[in-house]
Amino acid sequence: NYKSKIRRKKIFVLTCALCTLAQLLQDETEHIKCFVEGKDLTCFWEERNNLHHQYTFTYSYENKNKMACAVSSLLASNKTIFFCKLPKTPFFTTLDVQVLRDGRMLYTRSLNAENFLFLDPPRNLTVMSSGKEGQLNVSWLPPPLKYMDDSMIYEVRYAVEGSNMGKVEVVKVSTMLVLLGLQSDTRYKVWVRVKPDGVAYKGYWSAWTEPVFGVTPPSDVDPLIVLLVLFIGLILCLLSLTVILSHHKFLLKKLWPDIPTPEHKFPGLFTVYKGDFKEWMSQNNGSMWGRSVHVYTEELPSLLEVLSEVSRTSHDTSQREEEEEKESESSDSGLTDRWRDPPHAHWLMEQLRALQENPESRCQSSLLQSHDTYVTLNQGDNEQQVDDVFEETLPLQTLFTTTGTSSLSTSHSDLGSLQQSSGSGRLSSQSSFEYPNHTWAPKGPGYAYMAVADSGVSMDYRPMSSSRIAELGRHRMYTNDYKNEICPHKWPLSGQYIKSGSESCTGPVW
Amino acid sequence: ISGSTVIVKVFAITVFICLFRSGVSPLRPICDLRVLEHFIREAQDSEVIMRGCRGGCGAMKSYFVPLTSVDFAFWEHIDVHEQAVEVQTGLSLLVQALSTAMKAVSNSRLASALDNNISNIHSLSQILSTVLPDDSAPASTQSQEVSSLPELLQVQSSFLRGKVRLLLSAAPACQRQNS
Repeated sequence: NYKSKIRRKKIFVLTCALCTLAQLLQDETEHIKCFVEGKDLTCFWEERNNLHHQYTFTYSYENKNKMACAVSSLLASNKTIFFCKLPKTPFFTTLDVQVLRDGRMLYTRSLNAENFLFLDPPRNLTVMSSGKEGQLNVSWLPPPLKYMDDSMIYEVRYAVEGSNMGKVEVVKVSTMLVLLGLQSDTRYKVWVRVKPDGVAYKGYWSAWTEPVFGVTPPSDVDPLIVLLVLFIGLILCLLSLTVILSHHKFLLKKLWPDIPTPEHKFPGLFTVYKGDFKEWMSQNNGSMWGRSVHVYTEELPSLLEVLSEVSRTSHDTSQREEEEEKESESSDSGLTDRWRDPPHAHWLMEQLRALQENPESRCQSSLLQSHDTYVTLNQGDNEQQVDDVFEETLPLQTLFTTTGTSSLSTSHSDLGSLQQSSGSGRLSSQSSFEYPNHTWAPKGPGYAYMAVADSGVSMDYRPMSSSRIAELGRHRMYTNDYKNEICPHKWPLSGQYIKSGSESCTGPVW
Repeated sequence: ISGSTVIVKVFAITVFICLFRSGVSPLRPICDLRVLEHFIREAQDSEVIMRGCRGGCGAMKSYFVPLTSVDFAFWEHIDVHEQAVEVQTGLSLLVQALSTAMKAVSNSRLASALDNNISNIHSLSQILSTVLPDDSAPASTQSQEVSSLPELLQVQSSFLRGKVRLLLSAAPACQRQNS
């Protein structure tokens, strides 16, 4: 029982090597294939035919008698393997082996046993980290065979875990190896196998050992590289600092632009007067703003349309006489002016002069009655005069016309310099119109037209003839209808109603 | 003449061994098996030349050669001195046979190879006698007879690889300290 167990175990062990070598030696031309495992020679041959035959195996060496060997068989997939194991195989001598089938010579071969060694794989394979980057120390023990320690070569195979790409290193005699050039911090698989070196003994490669794993140490930073990097960084910093310092003004302008101040336009405003604009203005009145005022001195005269309805009294007749006289005088003077002097134009001028001389007695004139007084300002180009006219409260009660297309012809510039009243009557603008070309038509009788030149300080009034008015109407015109406020209760003579558009009636001087 | 040449050769081999000494083996330089392996390779080269020889490869002649088979179990039980005696006797037999064969060979290449083998065997004898002094008297050694030069060369090769090598590796003077 025990012996059978051992035999079965031996056969099992044998068959493992047999199967391996049967695969390995498939392409060998010799029929009889032999190998030495340990110190025993095993020869085998394959037969496809499953017919039962009697196989005999004999061997002899050194001219001695032939000896027989017990033949065993092993069933494979589609073939039968017959094998025989020679006990106490002599080495270093020529063996003659034969296979007989049914007493007839089938195969024969002469061989030296020491040339067919099939060794066991190496033992105690260990893989350790050497501490250095990308290195592993591999060591193992040779198979337990005497007299062959120094006649073996090894093959070390290593690969990254999980990868199929492995590298092979051949090691002679030595049973250790340092693997170089490995990846850092990587797990490697290592195998080893052994073979006789071919000088004293020859044979086949052994089976690979079981793989052993080893991990390479992680890569550590070379201090030299760290130093170099720091050095280069320092140099770069110094360079950039130098560049920044040399161009700091330029960079500062780009990054931190100055807030523009109008200080240079206002000399002394912030330094002397500390931002007090009024003070600065009062001191520098003539310097800056005066200039701008002078710009506007040259102005085009603008047409002033004065609309007023006033009923005449007995004073008219005397005035008419005066006007007629003056008219004749003016005609004698040789005026080639095509302005036609209306009969009442002279009377109008007299009124204006009276106003100028005695502004306080304006309201006391019994001759004047005003129902509605409108002043139309026709401004050629300048719209700013609207506000200016407002400031100038003009006693325009005197400016009126009743019949005909009368207009003031002569220019009395001194009359035009009507000074500002202290507030007897006010001129209020009710509406303003802008007339493009050819659209303005002089209003019907009852409207007086005057040309007004507003310099901003004083207004120059000139009477206009109807023809002139018509001519101007062709151009672009801007008219302002002004309503004159006349305190109604101060009209002594009038029992008529006077329209007053304004609430604030401060009490006339009339 | 032969003695002086042998001495010179031994001296040369000793120097050669010293030059080729490897750091792995702590053996004495003369115990380095690489010398023997060098001789073994040259003996195998003679076999190769013999296989390729077409003419003038020596007449069919019988030679007396030593037994080469090694039974490890048996060999281990033999005293090292006996082993030494057996090896030395065998080497001398080989030298005689090779010399006889060389006279019958007209192929120059084969002849020079044979001559090389003869000198190698002489060197081996000297080395072994240094390592294992041969005190005992030469015993009657068994021999076998071969009938051709190829067989002779095969015997030479087997003998060197087997018994001579085993002896050299097992010589007490050449034993490694860590074996």
